[in-house]
Amino acid sequence: MIKIKSRKEYFELSRARRRTVLILLLGMFIILFAQTIKLAVFEKNKLQKESRQRQHRELDLYPYRGKILDRNGSLLAESTPIYSIIGDAAEINFKSKDLNVQAKLDSQKKQLTSLLRMRPTDLDKKLKNKKRRAVRLKKNISPDTKIKIMKLGIKGISANKIYKRFYPENGPVAHVVGFTGSDGNGQEGIERIMNKALAGEKGKKINLIARDKRVVGEFQAIKLPKDGEDIRLTIDLRLQNEAYNALQKTVEKHEAISGSAVLLDAKTGEILAMTNYPSFNPNGYNKVGKFIKNRAVTDVFEPGSTIKPISLAVALEKNIITKDSLIDTGNGKYKYEGKWIEDHKAYGEITVKDVIKVSSNIGSAKISQKISSINLATMLKKFGYGIKTGINFPGEVRGTLRNHTKWKKIDHSRASYGYGMSSTLIQTAQAYTVFANEGKLKPISLIKSNDLKISKRVLSPETSKAMLTILESVTDHDGTAPKAKVYGYRVAGKTGTTWKTDPVNGGYLRDKYMSSFVGLGPVTNPRFVMAVVIDEPLKKRGYSGGTLAGPVFSRVMAKAFEWYSLDADGLELEEMQNKKEVYADKRKL
Amino acid sequence: MKLNLILFVVLIIFALTTVNFKHQTRSNYAELDEENKKTLDLKDQQTMLRIEESSESRIEKIEKTAKQKLNMQVPSKKEKRVIIR
Repeated sequence: MIKIKSRKEYFELSRARRRTVLILLLGMFIILFAQTIKLAVFEKNKLQKESRQRQHRELDLYPYRGKILDRNGSLLAESTPIYSIIGDAAEINFKSKDLNVQAKLDSQKKQLTSLLRMRPTDLDKKLKNKKRRAVRLKKNISPDTKIKIMKLGIKGISANKIYKRFYPENGPVAHVVGFTGSDGNGQEGIERIMNKALAGEKGKKINLIARDKRVVGEFQAIKLPKDGEDIRLTIDLRLQNEAYNALQKTVEKHEAISGSAVLLDAKTGEILAMTNYPSFNPNGYNKVGKFIKNRAVTDVFEPGSTIKPISLAVALEKNIITKDSLIDTGNGKYKYEGKWIEDHKAYGEITVKDVIKVSSNIGSAKISQKISSINLATMLKKFGYGIKTGINFPGEVRGTLRNHTKWKKIDHSRASYGYGMSSTLIQTAQAYTVFANEGKLKPISLIKSNDLKISKRVLSPETSKAMLTILESVTDHDGTAPKAKVYGYRVAGKTGTTWKTDPVNGGYLRDKYMSSFVGLGPVTNPRFVMAVVIDEPLKKRGYSGGTLAGPVFSRVMAKAFEWYSLDADGLELEEMQNKKEVYADKRKL
Repeated sequence: MKLNLILFVVLIIFALTTVNFKHQTRSNYAELDEENKKTLDLKDQQTMLRIEESSESRIEKIEKTAKQKLNMQVPSKKEKRVIIR
């Protein structure tokens, strides 16, 4: 033991100890300070995140995806709740030693398997591994069935709710409405174009949770989800279904590959029907295949004779001919620039009006020789050929309209009767709005809006009026489309029957046709424009546009006139005098 | 001394108020959550009803009912009369 002799000596020793203690304290302080810096600065974010994860549970709140409706409010797409039935293998037990309890468990199991539409052995297999706490027993269970299952009161059975897109109208509107993918985002059609508006915005809530993960109930922040907007289309479901059914009948009767139809409101440019047959089931799971596309906007074909009225309109507009001018179509065969142009038969000398009425290729070619390539090409562009329609539909194509400077004489001639170029059906329908609107091309739309749509002047009202008279003659009994007539109404239009192009060897497939008709009515005050095309009908059962597409036009137009209460303008005076009483359930008022 | 006492009382009041507000917030949130769940359930019900309505109001169904149950028929051309304006 150290013996301290004096007070001075005592303090000397104390100083040494003091220094040691101070150094130790300083060292500890430095360590603590360093640790504080480490935690507060370098690991701040990580620790805060961990803390939040331990105390809080973030939950996404999903918005309702908006509905898609037709112009009259009929439902076309809606998100519906469906359930997945989840089983806790550790908790579910269908065995008991007590006979009474066993009888009850057997009954529960029988009811459960019956509601889930599965065999009891399959249920046992799924629940075999007792370590699995969440086994999906069945998905896509309706709310009614889910309620029945939950009422069984089986311990360990729960239900997870998800939302699935449901399309009540199925095939007829499938191409327009489209569908969503497994992630809930639009994949095709309106679902894709309007995905952002339909989807809405996710919300969020943050719950405070206890150590046992139980939600205590207090919240830190909350953001309510913003439901998606409802989208109202210009489509009229009644007319859409009518067009689809008419197409189905024709395609099946003539064993064609497919058919498409587009119906427009000539006054507003709104698409009232746009459908294709065959279609697909948007509620199914295998939405693949060649009939997924909306062929009215994605597929092109040579418009053929439906172009003839446009080349004639150019000649009328430029005062090169009048509607009564005579054209010599000869014996039905005409050699031009080394190539033969043919008609169905020899028409001889006919009027310009008859060139359209009988659809003479020679007549059209001869008229086109009187107009310049630049005038013809410019007019075709003004009618909307070679340009997208502006509805921004996924996969829409512009068709082909070659630069007129590269046209040879024969190309110029062939363009006048719709060969050597291509267009979509919707372009063809839009082009004919010019004849229905006193010479103005209507911008078309698929989504209802109050935006101002400005029409473009293409023809003078006089030329347009003259063209209407000429086009009306096509539906006369001796025209090419008498079957397009609508009882009680005056309708006008033009047939088109073209060879299909050979995609492999080039040139044409002379036994495969595209049969089309595009028309409008009532002629007195045109309200509707409709274009129909039938792809590759069986030749022996008839293939002309007037025979195949004409009746589809007639059937749909008749319904359109009736449902939109349009005045009949096609009855003869005598007929009208005989029918001038008011009809009311067989009784005279 | 007096001031300290007053501050102490004020402190107690604030403490109690804080506890009270926290409790109210919790119960209000629980209520809000409950109402949100009800809203969602009602929306689901509305969806199902809308689908049912859409299915019942299909033209084919209306026509079938009109023909079979109400014995209605589309008038023929002979039965129609035209109103001349």
